[in-house]
Amino acid sequence: MKLQGRGISRGRAEGEVLVSDAPVSFLGGVAPATGELTDRPGGSIAGRVFAFPRGKGSTVGSYVMLEMKRVGTLPAAIINEAAEPIVATGAVLSGVPLVDGIDLSLLRNGDRCIVDGSAGTVELPDVEEHRVVSCFLQCGEEVLLLKRSEAVGSFQGHWAAVSGYVEEAEAPHQAARRELREELGLEPELVRAAGPTWVREGDTIWVIHPFLFQTKERAVTLDWEHTEYRWMTLMGWPG
Amino acid sequence: MQLNRDEEAILAGEKGEGGRKAMELLVALGDIYGAERLVPISSAHLSGVSYKTIGEGGIGLLEEMSSARVCVPTTLNPAGMDRRRWEEMGISPRFADRQRHIIECYERLGVTSDCSCTPYLGTNVPKRGQHLAWAESSALSFANSVIGARTNREGGPGALAAAIIGKTPEYGLHIEANRAPAVVIEVEGEDIDYSMLGQAAGAIAGARIPYFRGIRPTIDQLKTLAAAMAASGSVAMFHVEGITPEAGSFSIAGLERVTIGHREMAAAREKVNTGSDPELVAFGCPHLSVDEIRQLAAMLKGRRRQGDAEVWFCTSRHTLAACPKEAKELERFGKLVCDTCMVVTPIEERFKCTATNSGKACNYLATLCSQKVVFRDAKGLVELIS
Repeated sequence: MKLQGRGISRGRAEGEVLVSDAPVSFLGGVAPATGELTDRPGGSIAGRVFAFPRGKGSTVGSYVMLEMKRVGTLPAAIINEAAEPIVATGAVLSGVPLVDGIDLSLLRNGDRCIVDGSAGTVELPDVEEHRVVSCFLQCGEEVLLLKRSEAVGSFQGHWAAVSGYVEEAEAPHQAARRELREELGLEPELVRAAGPTWVREGDTIWVIHPFLFQTKERAVTLDWEHTEYRWMTLMGWPG
Repeated sequence: MQLNRDEEAILAGEKGEGGRKAMELLVALGDIYGAERLVPISSAHLSGVSYKTIGEGGIGLLEEMSSARVCVPTTLNPAGMDRRRWEEMGISPRFADRQRHIIECYERLGVTSDCSCTPYLGTNVPKRGQHLAWAESSALSFANSVIGARTNREGGPGALAAAIIGKTPEYGLHIEANRAPAVVIEVEGEDIDYSMLGQAAGAIAGARIPYFRGIRPTIDQLKTLAAAMAASGSVAMFHVEGITPEAGSFSIAGLERVTIGHREMAAAREKVNTGSDPELVAFGCPHLSVDEIRQLAAMLKGRRRQGDAEVWFCTSRHTLAACPKEAKELERFGKLVCDTCMVVTPIEERFKCTATNSGKACNYLATLCSQKVVFRDAKGLVELIS
């Protein structure tokens, strides 16, 4: 699985991920002699891919990273949600690859990770990516929900929109139309496609492409994947 | 950020490793702040000089950049010691050795080594409208506000990178529309202490641009005000109605209005005053100007030294050279200390309580130097020592 962010500091490095939820100040927050985090659990960041939302604190923090370079306790790479100047300056000057614009909820402590600060990518070689579409079908004020059969591979018996895997060499909008045709026997009109949402589950990252279609046809033909369907207003969705 | 062909070539390393690293840093900062391009600068002023702050890590960086040269006039902030009188200041030979090495590294990069936080008083004087990359918070606020030059609040490495490339990312205060005031501060009362006005105003403004009404500060008072607000808030620019050059360029209709009077300034004074019995009495944060040295000499004339606190008058060599007679008068009461100041030299190794008349120093003496602070105005400090 490869996540695309923005390259802030160049270079490429590999290491084990250490995720921290709070902003980090290298001045006071990290012991330069050992790389140990001093204001939170997690141990040492030395040689690891250190992921945290953003930097904070004194500009002297940039020099702390230079001192860590001298004694060999720098992280292998840094991943931020949004980079700020103090850590970015320290990363560029000490030669630590830094990529920002990454959703940290997709990372887990211990993930093997390759950060490419030149390409702006974060690669998780042991995590698989599955692309799926989720198609909401609208008819007037109502939206179609379907009850998944016991024969499907996941979420059996749950109510859901029309969903399915995007096959290799298939664009998400093509997959959406194929699923609607296969599961409902319909060729509805596309209203809107939103950007994908990423969700981490175990060693899988689901890349969910949501679509909204509209139809005038209330009668649908179910295939083996569903047992029931209902047209629901937003007020009356089943639990 | 869009780079032209020359800039791309520097980023590709065609002009050496120092230039490549400098360009990479400017591009990283430009991307973070949403700059679209680089803009040429007229001068740079660098922080990150004192061995106390940058340590061996900082020295490593300067050695690595040694293949590069700055291409615009570039000056340095105060260092960790007086380069001539360091022994009298209680500095260790090892600290002195490493500090000298830092300054030599900067000299090799082509940087002028009159180490001062007031370059605008003589060694690096900007003109209105010029783009700069300045890193000393009090000096850059003075350059923006009082001179009308244009600089963001740079960090030391960012300013050094800009000096090497001769350009800085165009965002923030380089853009006219971002120089408009965001809050109006009405000042009430006479005999304003500009350190305490700045202390109170910086806390209100935060990172915003304040617009002052009701004051008529001198140049030295503007320098004090800029320094205090940059430390108690992160004010990089301010306007003073009828005084500063861009005050008339923007409408203040509809802005938040706050009043600061003697009560607010007294409250600020009470907050910073945490000590008694100072072991060090330090004048000059920012560095004393020629006028300030003359005023102090006049105040001290005919008086006798009292008390056993150490006394420092911190200034630049450039300023000292302009008023040798008055400086001699001050020498009766304490040391004329150049190249450094009470905040960036390791005073915590010798003193626990320091007296100052600077709002800026009040903030940093407590945080960077572990000092208890005695705040007095200049007259009050004179009373402490004579």
